[in-house]
Amino acid sequence: MDFDTQLKLTIYRHFARTGEAPPIPELAAQLACSREDIRQGYARLRANRVLLLEPDGETIRMAPPFSGVPTQHRVEAGRRKYFANCAWDALGIPAALHEEAVVYSRCEQSGTPLRLEIHKDGPEPNSWFFHCLVPASQWWVDLVFT
Amino acid sequence: MLFFRSEEDVKAWCNTRGVAPRPLVAMAQLWELATTWYATRLEPNARRPGPDEMRRIFAGLGLHDAFWDPQADTFG
Repeated sequence: MDFDTQLKLTIYRHFARTGEAPPIPELAAQLACSREDIRQGYARLRANRVLLLEPDGETIRMAPPFSGVPTQHRVEAGRRKYFANCAWDALGIPAALHEEAVVYSRCEQSGTPLRLEIHKDGPEPNSWFFHCLVPASQWWVDLVFT
Repeated sequence: MLFFRSEEDVKAWCNTRGVAPRPLVAMAQLWELATTWYATRLEPNARRPGPDEMRRIFAGLGLHDAFWDPQADTFG
């Protein structure tokens, strides 16, 4: 397995285990490499649209569907708690974990809270909608806005 | 990418911002998108769908128009 794949898996499995982005020293220790190796790996993963980084090049803002920062889209699976980047990713976290979960979010217009149970075969019956303002061709132009 | 309780809420939200409502996606459709994108994300062979694959995925869920085309130059 090449370095970037190992790095990607280590990042994603850390998010899955803890709900948070991994610290670089921990990644470097696990992969037996330097901080600079991690930084360069992050840049390649960003170029391949696997990660979205903060301007410092060291802080993971998004490892979709996981968010490195708190958001309005929360997911609970077992005793673990996660933040998702958006409504799509809120369902993406249980899909990635292959676990039952509960999604907490809100209606963006009315503020009505959303509590959505996700079972192994998908969400409980629900009449809400997902709406995306940005067309697919422009999602990565400004992924935070998207 | 946001949740809305109803189509009326989407319209009101868009009116406030002076933008046209985009295609609505039902929760069951969103689950299909979520599993298609992310079900293998924690595995070594995970990868993002390419443009042609994305078009097929969206079309399979009834999401056909240019809004969902990952390579459309414009969306009008």
